[in-house]
Amino acid sequence: MASQDKDLEKIRNARKEWEENTLRKNAERLGLKETPVEYYTPLDIEEHDFLENVGFPGEYPFTAGRFAIPVLNAMWGRGKTLGAGKAVRHAFGYSGYGTPEDMRDFYIERGKTPVRGGGPNIAFDLPTQIGYDSDHELAEGEVGRVGVAIDTLKDFEIIYEAFTGDMDIDRIASNWTINATANIIIAMYIALAEKRGIPLEKLKGTPQNDILKEFVARGTQIFPVKHSMRMIRDTITFCTERLPAMNTISICGYHIREAGSTRVQAVAFAFANAIAYFQTVIDAGLDIDQFVGRTTFLNFGGGMEVLKEAACRRAARRVWAKIMRDRFGSKKPSHWIYRELGGGLAGYWTCTKKRPLNNLVRVAIGAVFAAMIGEPPALEPPFDEPLGLGHSIEARQLAADAARIIFEECRLADVQDALAGSYYVEHLTNAYEKEIFDLIEKIDEMGGAVKAVESGWMKNEIIRSSVEFQRKLETGEQVWVGVNKYTEEDEIEVMPPRTSPYRRDRIEDAEKRQIENLRKVKAERDAEKVQAALEKIENAARDEKANLIPFFVEAVREYATIGEICDVLRSVFGEAK
Amino acid sequence: MIREKKIRVLIAKPGLDGHDKGAIILSSQLRDAGMEVIYTGLRRTADQIVQSAIQEDVDVIGLSILSGAHMSISGRVLSKMQSAGIGEKVVVVGGVIPDDDIPRLKEMGVAEVFTQKSSYEEIISFIKNSVKD
Repeated sequence: MASQDKDLEKIRNARKEWEENTLRKNAERLGLKETPVEYYTPLDIEEHDFLENVGFPGEYPFTAGRFAIPVLNAMWGRGKTLGAGKAVRHAFGYSGYGTPEDMRDFYIERGKTPVRGGGPNIAFDLPTQIGYDSDHELAEGEVGRVGVAIDTLKDFEIIYEAFTGDMDIDRIASNWTINATANIIIAMYIALAEKRGIPLEKLKGTPQNDILKEFVARGTQIFPVKHSMRMIRDTITFCTERLPAMNTISICGYHIREAGSTRVQAVAFAFANAIAYFQTVIDAGLDIDQFVGRTTFLNFGGGMEVLKEAACRRAARRVWAKIMRDRFGSKKPSHWIYRELGGGLAGYWTCTKKRPLNNLVRVAIGAVFAAMIGEPPALEPPFDEPLGLGHSIEARQLAADAARIIFEECRLADVQDALAGSYYVEHLTNAYEKEIFDLIEKIDEMGGAVKAVESGWMKNEIIRSSVEFQRKLETGEQVWVGVNKYTEEDEIEVMPPRTSPYRRDRIEDAEKRQIENLRKVKAERDAEKVQAALEKIENAARDEKANLIPFFVEAVREYATIGEICDVLRSVFGEAK
Repeated sequence: MIREKKIRVLIAKPGLDGHDKGAIILSSQLRDAGMEVIYTGLRRTADQIVQSAIQEDVDVIGLSILSGAHMSISGRVLSKMQSAGIGEKVVVVGGVIPDDDIPRLKEMGVAEVFTQKSSYEEIISFIKNSVKD
């Protein structure tokens, strides 16, 4: 386009003039060798093509947004309320503590909420996540702490006593943050449904089930990578056939970012992991479009440099669309964009223990920019996240109000992708796309995410980024308000009152009560049937082609424990290094 | 008396908590400050930690705990240290520790507790001061 080139030429000359005159004079006046500030113009998006790079929301390449009309925005902006009263006070979000009885009572007191039809978003304790029973030596002190304790099907039955009648498990969706033991939890849900006469096709939920990120960021892996991948193959092939309404995975860049990676690494590593998972299922004989519709992503985490976060998120949408359409050859356009809950752009890791109300400011700013690129403005986490486990109801109230202000008062959801066309943001989006693809290619060259994780490379890269960030904090190059700067004596600490939504007293004796629960279940079950079921699991585990989920269902039905099942698997698979 | 031998520190991840960013970065900081650091990796039992402390002949044991299990874990490590005859070694705890629990940990015998409020200088100088002969 000759005229466009002429325009660019004019701008190029004008910029040169500006740099040599106005900018230089200003720098001299201030005693600076060079400007500390950047400025972007059409010159920085010379190669940019609107239709190719941005296009329209809800269409390839999805840069501008996943949907033509964002579902949540449309709902919340038009008369519906966002997380009203009860949902705020009783933590409609991710929560869990104590024994199954404690959680059941918690859910009953909370009442029905608009989220997932009122279904639970369950956090499990570490023994449950890592395949140890509540009476195991390594479980001591950990039972019921970071989540609820589950040992047998009986525990599941108790929790789900809160979900019956018009909130039975054929009506609600369950969320489980569970990875290495995800298939056992799914088996328990199946056994529960069978007991209640509920057809499996009605079961809805999302297990996190993203084992590769455990190895590099979160640390709850049990078995070596190869066998862990087999378990995910089992999940996706089994659910595609028997539980068609169940999501099978929630692929996370979030934890990778939280562990200290850069924003590009968080996206690239999550996508590389996703590619590995999907390839495993394709190798097992399924077509991409048969199963990808039930896969999801959590989110990619975030940071405080919100314009960069916004650009990187837009780039991620575009990269994924290209991966799905071009690399995997998916034929369904709705499959070319990931299903993601999305949310705020400031990460949990940016929150500080000092002057914690600053965290409310941080996540509000992150949510503003999320809203500007078509994501629901999730104010996460509540400001008192760094103060210990469990967010106070005051913190939840403020978080809910901040999101409402962004929607109802700032009206940021009224315009889709308001940052589109910004010279800076489009330049950055294009740059991030290239960086993400380059990193994925690097991982491809070493044999894919499985090799990258097994060799320790991916974890080392994350640690390096972490250490580099730390170095910048030490030199002051990276500022953390209230932590490494603005910490003089005159600065004051501000702490509002905090009320826990959990029963504190129950946490303290949860371990004792759960060990007693477990003892009773073991005394009352048919030990021979359990043993027979465990032996069947062992044989099936040795057969790489066998899907283990039906065997888990048989075992949990007889009240085999998570620890017993995992011990059998450990004996066959070995343990992760 | 000026200490000539390098200070030896065991940084441990006891129990089931898998968040190791802090422990790994602290290990690197302590090494930069001239100490010998042995990082245990994840999922160590109290027995394993005490055994490592003895084998590596460390001066200081650091427990990194973000799972809320710090009271129970610290108690067990301290008592096993007593039984194994190394009860006089310095124990410090770091992680996500509610302020209310800090005095209780110190009563147990933990020398100091470091949380997100603590700087690396604080930790390094505390360790150096606590192993001065």
